[in-house]
Amino acid sequence: MVGGKVRHIEVLKATAFATYKEWAAYRSHMAVSLFVGPVFFLVQVFIWSAVYSTQSTVVGFNLEQMILYYGIASIINYLIYDSCDWNLQMLIRTGKFITFMLRPVSHCYFALCQKLGHRLLALWLEFIPVYLLFTFVFKINMLPANAFWALVSISLSFILVFLTNYCIGITGFWLTKTEGLRRAFLVMRDLCAGTLVPLTLFPGFMQRILFFLPFQYITYVPIRVFIGTYELAGIELSIPEIVGMQALAVIVMFFVYKILWYLGVKRFTGVGA
Amino acid sequence: MITAMYIHLQGIKTALAERMAYRGDFFMSTFIMLIVEFLVPLVTYLIYANGASFPGWDMYEVLMVQAIFLLSRGIAFPFFFGMVWNTIERVREGTFDLILIKPRSVLHMAIVTGFDAEDVGKFFGGAILFIVSIVNVPFPGLLEWVTFLALFCVSLIVMFGFALILSGLGIVWIGNYRVYEIFFSVTNFGMYPASIFSKSIQTIITSILPIAMLGFIPASAMLGRPAEGTFFSVIISFVFLSICLLFWKTMLKRYTSAGG
Repeated sequence: MVGGKVRHIEVLKATAFATYKEWAAYRSHMAVSLFVGPVFFLVQVFIWSAVYSTQSTVVGFNLEQMILYYGIASIINYLIYDSCDWNLQMLIRTGKFITFMLRPVSHCYFALCQKLGHRLLALWLEFIPVYLLFTFVFKINMLPANAFWALVSISLSFILVFLTNYCIGITGFWLTKTEGLRRAFLVMRDLCAGTLVPLTLFPGFMQRILFFLPFQYITYVPIRVFIGTYELAGIELSIPEIVGMQALAVIVMFFVYKILWYLGVKRFTGVGA
Repeated sequence: MITAMYIHLQGIKTALAERMAYRGDFFMSTFIMLIVEFLVPLVTYLIYANGASFPGWDMYEVLMVQAIFLLSRGIAFPFFFGMVWNTIERVREGTFDLILIKPRSVLHMAIVTGFDAEDVGKFFGGAILFIVSIVNVPFPGLLEWVTFLALFCVSLIVMFGFALILSGLGIVWIGNYRVYEIFFSVTNFGMYPASIFSKSIQTIITSILPIAMLGFIPASAMLGRPAEGTFFSVIISFVFLSICLLFWKTMLKRYTSAGG
């Protein structure tokens, strides 16, 4: 039991470190975020400044809160970003996945460790510089209302993004090439997760639907936890309550992954290897 | 010229045939491309639906700016912007050399072999939004249409300039597909009325890097209220294209054939 856990930690350390080193070779690619993130953000600042020049609040947000929303959305994305769906479908399509079936570690765990290593690199290459830029250049107060709950919520979002993306990758067992599905999912996720606009901007009936979908737990909930208040579709919840619901969404997603994996892996034939 | 067009058509035909091997995925990707184009207009719609607005612009006028931008991108992406991905991919794999030894212009071959079929969805997305906008604004007269069409052609020239820059970067910045993000972030300024930006940004997007030409300037002409400095922006657009061509050729000379 203890030996198994130690082995898992060893696998985690080794895989995360190898991924970190591998991606560090392409650090200039990641550094593109230092330009792209602030430019996207600057456009949002102009858009919302123009919108707020005619009124002081929009759906309960004032200008500072709206800009803070986009600032947090931007930096959280650096921490939770994931591409395991693309990796998995590529491994299935090319047949390279066969090597993972022979390894004494599950591919899902291996992919999670890879994500950890990748995001550790992003922490100092993307997150910290952009965070400092937003704080000192754009003068936004980027401190969370409660650091503990913000950290818990972002961690849960990290796992939830991974699990949802991994489930999309699993569809490769049926569809072989999942690029279209992947794009469809990413669009729906970004729209329903509150990455593009706060979910409270949607009409009431849409908000009620969005409340029951898991997407809000990816971006909208971590942002609201960071700000310190939660409200959607007229429902106000305390921070521990919404983080609890987020944890529940992670558990549900884990079981969805397990079922999909059980059904999907039986279909793998190794064609293309 | 006829041979060049024939080669171009063959490139399109081959790309379509290749993509049809996974036709289910192709149709879904094309449809998604169409849907994706509605994301920015959706934000605009939500802003206006919540009683807010961009000062001096009604919703359909803003949507017109975005529709023209998307229409321009919808033509650029399938027909010549694919050279960006094509160049990056080939340089990384080492197959860019194959283009160099062809008895045609390298640039032409990079465009021809980079036709991106599923991006046609972008064009339809832009076209639908354009129709929705045009029926909800006062219908433009003949002069507005002619001016718009001329400026729209200039917007394609600017798009081509950007494609050259990104493709040129792809030759020396090995395997970096994130150059697209640089393009999307910078051109975001072209999707909104220039009047919402500060004076310095307005100067940059009209007189230095002609991003306003991608949407705002042609839309303003269409709406019958030509943007200030339109003629100067047209000249800048041609200067921009010349610089981009020069940049691409300089980058090509720096190609080391180290991929693969």
